[in-house]
Amino acid sequence: MPFCGGVRSGCSLSSDEVIGSRQKKLDEVSVSVAKLADFIEEGVVDYAKANPGTVVYVSPQGSRIPKIVAEYLNGKVREEIITSKTAPQISELLTKLTNQSGLDIIRIRKPFHTDAPSIQGQWHPFTNRPPSIGPIRPQ
Amino acid sequence: MVTRCGTQTQRTGFKSDAFNGCTLLVRNVTVTQVREKKRWMKAYTYLMAKKLKLEGPPPPKPRSQKPNWDYHAEIQAFQNQCERRQELGVDSELTALALKDNLELCDRGEEITRTFVADWCRASFPSLPDDGVQSVVEYLAGKSTISYVAKNLGIEDLTMSADFPIPEEVLYSTFMAVIGALQESSGAERAGFFLRDFLVTQMIGKDLFDVWTVVNPMGLLVEELKNKDIPLPEPRLIRSAGASTVLPLYFVGLYSEKKLLAQAPGESLAAAEEEAARVALRHMTPPLWLELLVGEDAEAASPELPAPLSEAGRSDPQLPGSSG
Repeated sequence: MPFCGGVRSGCSLSSDEVIGSRQKKLDEVSVSVAKLADFIEEGVVDYAKANPGTVVYVSPQGSRIPKIVAEYLNGKVREEIITSKTAPQISELLTKLTNQSGLDIIRIRKPFHTDAPSIQGQWHPFTNRPPSIGPIRPQ
Repeated sequence: MVTRCGTQTQRTGFKSDAFNGCTLLVRNVTVTQVREKKRWMKAYTYLMAKKLKLEGPPPPKPRSQKPNWDYHAEIQAFQNQCERRQELGVDSELTALALKDNLELCDRGEEITRTFVADWCRASFPSLPDDGVQSVVEYLAGKSTISYVAKNLGIEDLTMSADFPIPEEVLYSTFMAVIGALQESSGAERAGFFLRDFLVTQMIGKDLFDVWTVVNPMGLLVEELKNKDIPLPEPRLIRSAGASTVLPLYFVGLYSEKKLLAQAPGESLAAAEEEAARVALRHMTPPLWLELLVGEDAEAASPELPAPLSEAGRSDPQLPGSSG
């Protein structure tokens, strides 16, 4: 049974990692790094202040794809790649990850739901069957 | 991709190589990066797969040994998750808690948990007998539930323990110590809210009789009815289907003074009667909100009771014992 608790607390995100990438080639300036650097300058600190229950680690990783690794309290880890994303886009992504719980993302089976699937009661063989008829028997 | 990178000192030169690579000449170290198809890659991958098959997957490592871990920051974040307001001095409480074994806090936490859960149970289900309350408390404050809750709250990552995966007793005592510390710092009310939000919610979706094993539900029901001065129940067969087949179905209702208490299905008459007793017990211990809502409604009285169970068994032509 999935963990259903914490009805009053906000998110269940426990720690967040932003892995930056530092390119070595001189002739091509990586656009992604510039945008990520913007985000690291401005967005990260605001995010960390707004979510005191989440630990944010920022670590430079040489020549790796820049990503955000989100770890949830129930142990689930989610990675999102942020190459070529602008700072506001990265903030949006972070808000989305913060508001998720760590449960698996599964396919929605039906696009509708009702708390009252039957008004007069689901039919079963004993509905509207007076007991005087007798028990249900094979014919 | 293996990049042999050296220290990032001043670059003194840059030249390209014949075999599709580029070499950076630095004062101390020559850096070479080759991007073509690697001849050793296939052999290495196969070797590692063979090793995995031979030895099995690597043992799990605690979170503190994986990269990106700051213990102090994690403790602060955990504290923020527990409480909305910043309490001065709580910081030291939790760090002190983490640094040494606090048996006393653990005992206090256990006491708090058990009393809170018992009080909650009695308050929400006023007519539940003491056995029932005891079994609910045992289930909620038991090792398996507590360790499940602790794992999902991240307490497993924060506990300092010699062996990994952390044994249930350690998780249990850590959780209790956290409750004790919470009570000391923020008061019994906040500890109560914490327990209500995280521990008591584990009862959602649980059936009472999963938690409370009752050997003789009919006997218990008779006792309860005697306490309330309600006449004793009589079982009656209401419906039946497929009595001579492999899967017979009997609906048995319990009537006290010609009023229906509860009815339930079963595969045999005895099983249906026992199930009806259980349903009656469940109806007799409604949650408080339901009691207040429904009030004292009289069940619709059925004017004629069906034939008694024993006679029903004898007269039904499909049953093997009766004359056919």
